[in-house]
Amino acid sequence: MTPDLPKSLSDLPVTAPKWVGKPVNRIEDPMLVTGRVEFIDNLTMPGMLHCAILHSPYPHAKINGIDVTAAESLPGVVAIVTGEDAERWSRVGYTSPEGWGTHCMATDKVRFAGEPVAAVAAVSRYVAEDALELIDVDYEPLPVIVDAHAALEPDSPRIFEEHDSNVMYQRDFKWGDVDGAFAAADHTYTERFRWHRVGANPIETFGVISQWNPISETLTCHGSFQTPAFMALGRAAMHRLPTNKVRAIGQPHGGSFGGKGGGRGIDITALLSRKAGGQPVKWIEDRLEYLSAGGGQAWDRFYEASLAVNDDGTVTGLRVKLLDDLGATGEGFGATGAAKPMASFTGCYAIPNAEYDLTIVATNKLPASPYRGMGPPPHNFVLEQMMDIAARDLGVDPAEFRCRNFIPSDQFPYTIASGNEYDSGDYDAAMKKLLEMADYDALRAEQEQARSEGRLRGIGIVSTIEPGVFDWNAYAVIGQKGVGVPEGVSVSIGNTGKIIVRVGFPLEGQGQYTVAAQLLADYFAVDIGDVEVVAQDSLSAPTNFGPGGSRLAVALTGAVLGAAGKIRDKFVRVAAKLFEVQPEDIELMDGKLRVRGVAGGAQLTVGQAAGILIHRTDLLPDGMEPGAEATFVWSSPDRVPPDDDGRVKSYLTAAYACHLVVVDVDPETGKTEILKYVIVDDCGTRLNPANVEGMIDGAVAQGVGAALLEEYVYDEDGQLLTGTFMDYLLPTIHEVPATEKAALVTPSPFTPLGAKGAGESAIHTTPAAIMCAINDALLPLATRATEVPATPNRLWTLLQAAKQP
Amino acid sequence: MTAKRDVSLTVNGVAYSASVEPRMTLVDLLRGELGLTGTHVGCEHGVCGACTILLNGQAVRSCIMLAVQADGAELMTVEGLSEDGQLHPIQQAFVGQRGLQCGFCTPGFLMSVYELLQHNPAPGDDEIKEALGGELCRCTGYQSILRSVRDAAARLRGEVPAAATEGEA
Repeated sequence: MTPDLPKSLSDLPVTAPKWVGKPVNRIEDPMLVTGRVEFIDNLTMPGMLHCAILHSPYPHAKINGIDVTAAESLPGVVAIVTGEDAERWSRVGYTSPEGWGTHCMATDKVRFAGEPVAAVAAVSRYVAEDALELIDVDYEPLPVIVDAHAALEPDSPRIFEEHDSNVMYQRDFKWGDVDGAFAAADHTYTERFRWHRVGANPIETFGVISQWNPISETLTCHGSFQTPAFMALGRAAMHRLPTNKVRAIGQPHGGSFGGKGGGRGIDITALLSRKAGGQPVKWIEDRLEYLSAGGGQAWDRFYEASLAVNDDGTVTGLRVKLLDDLGATGEGFGATGAAKPMASFTGCYAIPNAEYDLTIVATNKLPASPYRGMGPPPHNFVLEQMMDIAARDLGVDPAEFRCRNFIPSDQFPYTIASGNEYDSGDYDAAMKKLLEMADYDALRAEQEQARSEGRLRGIGIVSTIEPGVFDWNAYAVIGQKGVGVPEGVSVSIGNTGKIIVRVGFPLEGQGQYTVAAQLLADYFAVDIGDVEVVAQDSLSAPTNFGPGGSRLAVALTGAVLGAAGKIRDKFVRVAAKLFEVQPEDIELMDGKLRVRGVAGGAQLTVGQAAGILIHRTDLLPDGMEPGAEATFVWSSPDRVPPDDDGRVKSYLTAAYACHLVVVDVDPETGKTEILKYVIVDDCGTRLNPANVEGMIDGAVAQGVGAALLEEYVYDEDGQLLTGTFMDYLLPTIHEVPATEKAALVTPSPFTPLGAKGAGESAIHTTPAAIMCAINDALLPLATRATEVPATPNRLWTLLQAAKQP
Repeated sequence: MTAKRDVSLTVNGVAYSASVEPRMTLVDLLRGELGLTGTHVGCEHGVCGACTILLNGQAVRSCIMLAVQADGAELMTVEGLSEDGQLHPIQQAFVGQRGLQCGFCTPGFLMSVYELLQHNPAPGDDEIKEALGGELCRCTGYQSILRSVRDAAARLRGEVPAAATEGEA
């Protein structure tokens, strides 16, 4: 049962919170700035071998044979595995949609360039890579499909022969009377859009050390796991092991953003360790591997969208047709990104009728992975372009057009057409604040001036939702099972009042350990330095999932406050017995247990109460379990599977943001320069405002990358052309603009302390905002950028075409 | 494999010698042989800057230099910044101004900033950007890094640091 969790900061048992809600420095940082954090590649073990993986150079080919004899005889090589070993010792990988998986190494054929074919464990990475050159693979090339539309053709070569086409998923969702809305609308607008592949690219790639124990038949894996417990569950299934025989230890890691990947790497090193008789095997993915064969590619999409709008500017219907190119398999949860837009399908707008015609297709490209935002960023780009297209045609200012369609602030909680429920918000207030901060009228006047001088100046204004606190039910429609995502912690207090909180997720960069420490420091009125956060492995930690889907700060708050509340309840009963009063007469306030309403009376400190629970069991109430510790597992309340139309109340919170961007597009080069960037956002109560601001800044940068720079390019033969950081362009300090930011705070009524999920942040908004600004800049030329990223080359091509008579 | 060669070098004031294959990268020597794992590897092709160290006072990419090329050189890595458990002012500034999130790229940034501030104690924003244009960070969006460098410069000039957040380092 859910205990009574504090609903707001004022419910915490302190007169005034000293830590929660403040921009407290992160307890993680001193170790990080001194280079003392144990990232996976810093770890070494006795007898440890190093793995190198042989990747297929062909995107689609039959494997007629693999000869490893020369490699085996290279001094220093200890073990080599191929698809045969994978077939013997492991299963085909789990996928959603179901039935589109392979083993961790190719068995009969390869389906993408970069697919692992063999792997070597040797005394050093250098020797292991030498050995790869001695492996002889007999490939028989097959016809290659890289074009998603061509892959739909009935006579297209098939990626999986057991399926009668390359269509992995097709469903046309209709909510409300969408056909009626379009038939009755005064205006309808339709446009096509293309979003090219982008992806996470954390600066640390994936890494793992796997050790198979042949005596106990257990598997132990240290690695840069975003979600160790979930990774362990997957490995148990993959290697046919009981779940309590797989120990995943999440090392602190250098970012993830949903795209750390690693499933195949763990499995391959596990097989190598097994073949090597139990020696630990380390694999550190290199950047070329990450880019071409890792967890870094997401969202390869073709859109057609339509809007039904009345004369008064009311949007009555939205249709989105998506062809999602998932690549070669359904592994790694890439398809969840096509389902998640349903959690915020109609954005900030009260659009009662909607349709989502979704097709997911397989091609000979790297299987797509999740990436921060998990799917809505391209959808938001499409929706916001459509809003601008309609606004322009009706002669309504784009900000005003959005305001006319906002869900009114008095209608929360509000259920959108696709079934999700938004918890709270005041979109009008955010837009008003944004326009004030930006001095919008002056910007439009400057734009007019710039246009008269022949410059291409544009202003983009968008508003988007960030669905927060994901639930598996959001992905049920594409085959993901389950409801609820439990997050547990255990808290224990020693007899000196020092606190330990044990969590199941490793350090990743969002400052979650600091948040846990802030919460406990205020709850028990200790210094933040008196709280130690300990990460536990998957066999030790309470039930947990970890970061993902903008959930962890909220889920962690629930878990920590739940555990703290259980300890407080024990303290209260201990104090009541000692002071000879009823438990309901005792309160915890400012770190003291005291009789309510009695000033200057007897009191017990947190340390004293904990000390009694540990060292004076004779003083405990009858039947009380000794020890000042408690475990609590939190999950979103009130979630159920989707209805027959796919409607589902999935993500618990709906943070939102309004962005205003001013750009100049260079008419000669097509290069976009960001001149001004203003943000108003509302993610409810800010547990650590500096954490939130940092995530906004970082997500803006990733949005800038997605909108202007980053793109995975495959040629028609299925070869990746952007396999280095010289071709796949991450934004540098030169490209990311400074932002002016303001926050509104509309607490969530559904979460502890009223916080909303905020980790994915501006990536939901920035690409849409920049593209709206670019299209506003292009308006005088009567052309429109519908492809993302809007690279100089793409815009230059549009500009050249527009100049033709 | 080719015959190994002897390399002698100084890192953070400590003399080391090692026998390495000519193909071994400098960062692999530092991390693997000398155990100085504070320097990180992000791309191994000289773009991301995570492996930046100082070689004879100059910032270099240790992933695209060979260990044998550093024979006789004086190196400085992130481990050489703090002394006796006290954070260097640049490190203090990065903590106080939130110049990091996951912290993986941070050692490279710190070394580039160290080099910049050695030569230019009061850099303008354009100069900071120029100095850090070859360092990739995927978490922060760089704005807090810019603040950190301004703050670090002020600290090193002996000015009272700008009011920072709670729990100032």
